[in-house]
Amino acid sequence: MAKVLTRVELNGVVNDVWVEVPENEPAAWPKQAELAVLGKPLPRVDGPDKVSGRAKYTHDVNLSHMLWMKFFRSPYPHARITSLDTSRAEALPGVKRVYTYENTPDISWYANRSKLFDTTLRFVGDEVAAVVAVDEHIAADALPLIDVEYEEMPYVLDAETALSPDAPAIHEGGPQDAPGARNLQGGRPSLYTRGDVEKGFAEADFVIEHTFRSPCQVHACLETHCSVAAWQGDKLTVWDSTQAVHPVRESLAQILNIPIANIRVICLYSGGGFGSKLWINKYTVLAALAARDLGRPVKVTLDREEDALAMGNRPANVMTIRAGCKRDGTLTALTLKNIGSVGAYNAGAGVGTPLREVYRCPNVSTEESNVYINADVARPHRAPGHVQGTWGLEQVLDILAEKCGLDPLDFRLRNYSDTDQVRNLPYSTKGLREAYEKGAEKFGWRDRTARQALSRGPKKRGFGLATQIWGGAGGPPGYAVVNLYSDGTAAVFSGGQDIGSATRTSMLQVAAEELGLPADKLSIVMGDTQGTPYGFVSGGSRTTPSQAPAVRMAAAEVKGQLLELAGKQMNLPAQRLSTREGYVFDTQNPSTRKPIAEVTKELQFGFGTGDRVQNMLIGKGWRGPNPADVSVNSWGAQFAEVEVDIETGEIRVLRIVAAHEAGRLVNPLTASSQIEGGVIQGLGFALFEERVLNNASGRMVNANLHDYKIPTMKDIPEIESVLIDLPDARANSVGVKGLGEPPIIPTPGAIANAVADALGVRVFETPMTPQRVLEALEKGLVLRAQPEEGRRA
Amino acid sequence: MIPASFEYFAPRSLEEALQLLAHHGTEAKLLAGGHSLLPMMKLRLATPRTLIDLGRIRGLSYIREDGGRISIGAMTTHAEVESSELLRRRAPLLPETAAEIGDVQVRNRGTLGGSLAHADPAADYPAALLALDAECVLTSQKGTRTVVAKDFFVDMLTTALQAGEILTEVRFAADSPRTGSAYRKLHHPASGFAIVGVAARLTLDATGKGSAVSVGITGVAPKPYRATGVERGLLGQTLDAKRIAEASAQATRGVEPLSDLQASARYRAAMAAVFTRRALAAALGRAQKQG
Repeated sequence: MAKVLTRVELNGVVNDVWVEVPENEPAAWPKQAELAVLGKPLPRVDGPDKVSGRAKYTHDVNLSHMLWMKFFRSPYPHARITSLDTSRAEALPGVKRVYTYENTPDISWYANRSKLFDTTLRFVGDEVAAVVAVDEHIAADALPLIDVEYEEMPYVLDAETALSPDAPAIHEGGPQDAPGARNLQGGRPSLYTRGDVEKGFAEADFVIEHTFRSPCQVHACLETHCSVAAWQGDKLTVWDSTQAVHPVRESLAQILNIPIANIRVICLYSGGGFGSKLWINKYTVLAALAARDLGRPVKVTLDREEDALAMGNRPANVMTIRAGCKRDGTLTALTLKNIGSVGAYNAGAGVGTPLREVYRCPNVSTEESNVYINADVARPHRAPGHVQGTWGLEQVLDILAEKCGLDPLDFRLRNYSDTDQVRNLPYSTKGLREAYEKGAEKFGWRDRTARQALSRGPKKRGFGLATQIWGGAGGPPGYAVVNLYSDGTAAVFSGGQDIGSATRTSMLQVAAEELGLPADKLSIVMGDTQGTPYGFVSGGSRTTPSQAPAVRMAAAEVKGQLLELAGKQMNLPAQRLSTREGYVFDTQNPSTRKPIAEVTKELQFGFGTGDRVQNMLIGKGWRGPNPADVSVNSWGAQFAEVEVDIETGEIRVLRIVAAHEAGRLVNPLTASSQIEGGVIQGLGFALFEERVLNNASGRMVNANLHDYKIPTMKDIPEIESVLIDLPDARANSVGVKGLGEPPIIPTPGAIANAVADALGVRVFETPMTPQRVLEALEKGLVLRAQPEEGRRA
Repeated sequence: MIPASFEYFAPRSLEEALQLLAHHGTEAKLLAGGHSLLPMMKLRLATPRTLIDLGRIRGLSYIREDGGRISIGAMTTHAEVESSELLRRRAPLLPETAAEIGDVQVRNRGTLGGSLAHADPAADYPAALLALDAECVLTSQKGTRTVVAKDFFVDMLTTALQAGEILTEVRFAADSPRTGSAYRKLHHPASGFAIVGVAARLTLDATGKGSAVSVGITGVAPKPYRATGVERGLLGQTLDAKRIAEASAQATRGVEPLSDLQASARYRAAMAAVFTRRALAAALGRAQKQG
């Protein structure tokens, strides 16, 4: 079998991976193929379990004789432990053990820059010790009995200060330990250039430059991080609230030095991950170690504060964008300088992809710095970088459109790009133009001035739009197995997980379509390493485009075997047969047909019945390579209608029309759910969410859902999904692309543009709190008295 | 999210509760709904040794009118205040305020007395109580005493309640003719508490002049207060939008507004003026409707 290197993107990071090219992969369904199950609004297969409370989340796992673990965390943003005494805590009745750097194996962490327990603490929330006790209350009572003395060290909490020459170094030694760059990850910014930006700006009739500030946003998963570990002899079972059951298993095997085959990791249901649960966590390793040491299962659940302090975040960014265009709206140059705070250890804080890729522009340069600060480490957060980058870029577009006297939509259409300008490749498919058209129509974009009249008193209406790109190709590795049983039912075993995005339902639809079975004849298992083949993380909008082709390939193999069996029974060549809606039928004479369940009866087990050797049909599938000669992306545009109270600064988002294209539409119900979730989370970024650190202590002052506001029912606008169904035959055999991340990306930009439309002034900082809106209004009144900036003679 | 351990009592009578309170002294906290106390205990911001649950005492939950005076039992829930026909007719400011507290679950469990005794500076009720010139009845083993609302709120989370005392009742006068009232607030985006909450009640004389004007403001200062500067600007005056706007500019006169994550002192002061104007304008419209 041929092996090739193929390009796989995860959260903006591109890797080349080797993959076997499948020989018998079914050809992509034709665009106009009439499909029986795919594209239909099948309700979620796990819906009844979830709404009835039967679904067991990691937090629900309680085992007999289980112990509880709780963490003692650093109260200081930068400190060295000078002494640590756990004797008082250990003396508390019910406490079984206290783990610290003194009695825990030397396990390296943060890419070898730290350890499971380090003596140097680099952020508030850094792990100092873990208490294991017979119940959660006693574990909590023991924490204040741990006596720690620290040597406090100077700290820095924001990226701009961290880059100054006299900033304290967060990591000592190495090439970075130079003034001005000592906190710069990798020692230098990452650079990109195409064309000649100076020439581009010289050609422009209008040039503008603005600085946009976006804060650190925490993931705020409704299910906080949690693990339960239990040993049976040398076999370890871990229930983990994760997006990566298979990768977590591999990590545990490596860290604990035990065989992969001896570990089972389970996460059947997830209360949100959004990128914060993509890999192994310290608490999971410690729960496994403690469960082995103490001979009892160990459960660890983080509380809301710990989740906010130590489980990742979307980094804060300071983005300066300079843009030039001709009088007719043609973009001539775009530059970005981005400073992002990654936290105390390595992470990504780039935001430049949308600026480099969305619009046609010959001259582009970006300079992006990932900067260490004394705060929790960033993790991918639903569409990392794209949310912030798009929020800034789309406002720049609107400002230029206004200067040219062009409608924002026309301005974007003028700069529509038919090729991937970074890789010099055509797009496999690009449904953005259709998203613009259908979204605008649904929204009433062209007639919006009539709705302006709905402004009442101090409440002003505004309208805005924004565009979205995402690399939604997915890719290997991803495996699936399909079994067809003697009663004509089938089971699907797929790598990857359903992290709430209805992946089980989608995969089941793919298998049902290929097998020609009604969906209710199938069951599916995902999220349990025992019984499912390998799948990579469920993140980066990769699950559906990675797993669906594998599931289809496995189902196709089973179908081939089924048709062989049916051919013998029906005295017809297997090649003439196909399946649909539970029947095997003769393609040349469709009325000649036989129920699949009748065909499979022959598989029934019985002693001494004929020469049959099989009891079920098994098919194996895997994800093949991505196409090398096209660029695969998901596209979308959102339109926002807002009402702003100019006396109080309160913004109310009234309506979002979200038009998205992610290849073949698998299921309109679940696709709409994805879109609604993304829009709601994007609204939180735009209006509410901001991690606030106290400069005097380095501590987060709003590590709870009272002071850290996320959207709830009363904040949620009318959300109308416009689903563009555009099967992408080049992307993969099912024609699907990822839709997990796309819908969060354009929401903040669309809202920001709508707010600017309502007010006549812009808020250059998120979240757009009432206070910031009023400040922008006051500043706008001052600015209007001054001559317009940026206009070239 | 795990409270420290505590002792729990659920007395069946007020006498029993007073006895327990006298016995346990400052180690005890009264549980009267628990929507403020329990979260504080879970965060271990409050670690009382003893909880005395007032929820099973009969006779502390009522709303009645006697000779133009309304009395409300301290264990009356927000939902009961919100839906009371009597109050809607005779003192609509209180149900309008109750409807703005938290969410349905909070209003079903939280009580008038619990909210007032907790004295959260961002609670809604205190603004209304000040505007209604209410008085609070405090009961101890020694007997009862009454304290006017203005004196009941002493400071942030501090009231005139002495050791051994339980707030048992709130009283105030029902609306007289040609009276209008309104409660307007700027919601905390997450909790719904008042960043600024303004309760206004005004009465017009036969010529349309303000014969009684009271404005209670919560959320702005460490304790709720009467905006006397605003009231003075309107008393005896012919009331209209312009005069209300002018007078509302005095909403924070003599107070130092709080500053926090959600609102700086400057923003709070500006919003106090806006919401005072909005509350007064709505109250005036309602008073005029009664013609």
